[in-house]
Amino acid sequence: MSYNGTAIVAMTGKNCVAIAADKRLGQQFLTVDMDFQKIFPITKKTYVGLPGLATDVQTLYKSNMYRLNEQRDIEPKAFAHMVSSTLYEKRFGPYYIEPIVAGLDKNNNPYICGMDLLGCMDVAHDFIVAGSADENLKGMCENLWEADLEPEDLFETISQALLNAVDRDALSGWGGVVHIITPNEVITRHLKARMD
Amino acid sequence: MDIQLGLAGKDFVILLADNQITNSILTIKHDEDKIYKLSEHVVMSVSGEPGDSSNFSEYILGNTVLYNIRNQHELSVDSCAKFTRKELANALRSRSPYQVNYLIGGYNTISQKPALYRIDYLASIAKVEFAAHGYASYFCYSIFDRMKKPDLTQDEALDILAACVNELTRRLVINHSSYTLKLVDSNGVRVINGEELLKRTSAK
Amino acid sequence: MARRYDSRTTIFSPEGRLYQVEYAMEAINHAGTVIGMLCDDGIVLAAEKQQSSKLLESSLDGEKIYEVNENLIAGVAGITSDANLLLNEGRLIAQNYLQIYDDNIPVEMLVKRLCDIKQGYTQFGGLRPFGTSFLIAGWDEHVGFQLYQTDPAGNYSGWKATCIGVNSSSAQSLLKQEYKSKSEPSSSDQQGATGTENASDIADDDTPFSLDSALELTCKVMTKTLDSSKISNENLEFATLTLHNGVPKVHLFKSNETDALLKKYVPEKTTPKE
Repeated sequence: MSYNGTAIVAMTGKNCVAIAADKRLGQQFLTVDMDFQKIFPITKKTYVGLPGLATDVQTLYKSNMYRLNEQRDIEPKAFAHMVSSTLYEKRFGPYYIEPIVAGLDKNNNPYICGMDLLGCMDVAHDFIVAGSADENLKGMCENLWEADLEPEDLFETISQALLNAVDRDALSGWGGVVHIITPNEVITRHLKARMD
Repeated sequence: MDIQLGLAGKDFVILLADNQITNSILTIKHDEDKIYKLSEHVVMSVSGEPGDSSNFSEYILGNTVLYNIRNQHELSVDSCAKFTRKELANALRSRSPYQVNYLIGGYNTISQKPALYRIDYLASIAKVEFAAHGYASYFCYSIFDRMKKPDLTQDEALDILAACVNELTRRLVINHSSYTLKLVDSNGVRVINGEELLKRTSAK
Repeated sequence: MARRYDSRTTIFSPEGRLYQVEYAMEAINHAGTVIGMLCDDGIVLAAEKQQSSKLLESSLDGEKIYEVNENLIAGVAGITSDANLLLNEGRLIAQNYLQIYDDNIPVEMLVKRLCDIKQGYTQFGGLRPFGTSFLIAGWDEHVGFQLYQTDPAGNYSGWKATCIGVNSSSAQSLLKQEYKSKSEPSSSDQQGATGTENASDIADDDTPFSLDSALELTCKVMTKTLDSSKISNENLEFATLTLHNGVPKVHLFKSNETDALLKKYVPEKTTPKE
């Protein structure tokens, strides 16, 4: 986790969820890319953040099969379980990632879920953090998060949490991206940050 | 101690690699071409374990050529890079992972855009404007950062690479006598004479 | 005489025919009609659902036209269970390609792969061939919009407009008369398949052949081909494949959309009862 360096955070709001990540890809202390995508859309209302690498394509493939066979999009909860079992399939040679799933279910209730590298799920009602800056993020979220935030307030909260967490982590940062998932649309915004 | 550099410009990509094969303190070969031509518009430079790099690269080369014959169209640079990453990722989890790093550059003839991908031995992939592997990265990223600009021309790109080579010659403990350079644009792959670059270096 | 060569799929008769394969193709000629049509900005597929009973509950909106991938739809004629199997295989092939190359599968590659599966059953091991034909409509960045027809023997061919299933020959000739397209050397001309270009000898004019006029023509041909007099969402299905900002978009018509379409283009006969 600290080889590439990552900070990903997801938060719930009032009928909305937010997921945010930094943009750095590094190899230990060498920064290789400053615009690296770590959050991927799975459906219109479900996003997954992958601190680490590799499995993204595989999970996308499975959820596409789900959509085609069922003629509807996969629910975030079902998707999270799918990711979890995909990870556990590699119990004795795991993927080194700790995914975060964030989305709205069919009743537009927020769902966020974190996982360890073996697929042990952690469903939270408030926020989930992961990556090399996870402890910093946890502290920020603990202080900033409130229940039932509206989309714009949630954006401010998650952005401040991310930016201030990565400033104290040498391995993550270099800009950030925030997705706010609401029942009608997904708002995506890019954050400028310290580039050092 | 392999040197591998790559640069994407306005409508082209240039890859640079050294020509040495070494074993411990011995240099075995001075004129190895480490930049494979995968198709008319895609090139791939490689570094890493000597056996792994030629074996795996030839596997990728073979599969790409096979694809092109089977389907009567070229595999795009983007798909080439993703395919290579996938194969490398699968190998990583097998009993015999490959210790190889790649730069894959090319010109996408459909979207009419150049693309440069950096893939390391852990099979992480990043689409970038410039890239380096190995010791060269510690010298060259800062030069890239300083000299890069949007819509780079071929001449400016060669100047940047010349500056990199200059720095490497001056500061890296190993000296490379020659380099291979390959440029890809809409017309296909072109080899640039390494001597030309060295001349640019001395002219500065 | 022929009986001796009937029972096995993989043995030629003295006349050099494979009877089982021919019978499988015959099965298609009794299946519901499927029409496919290329136009300048997309592809239209339409299919007839043969109703077996009033009491039958249709489980999903579609039972004749399926999405195979983001850039591919398939209309089915023949044995549905066979088709389901092949369709699933096709989806896996497409997703597998996506997984390896991070790109949508080229249309002809998928068609070829499906046909390879079908071909296997005309050659190996005493199993029966698949009793299905497909019309596969797709888009890829290399060739553009494409329409393919496949048969149980594993042959495939590229078309501008074509038809499979019951009454296909009459629908075919109707299409030949009515279909017109711009003479552009894109899409179907490049298809390296064995099939003949059906509509290539049609006189060209410069007016673009839009998706709407393709839908209109499809409705027209469908109404003339259909056995039953009443036409509604209960026995017809429509789907289109179009491009939106360079991204292929599949649209499988819901039953109310089908009715709206029919109301628009088949005014005199349509009496969709709800």
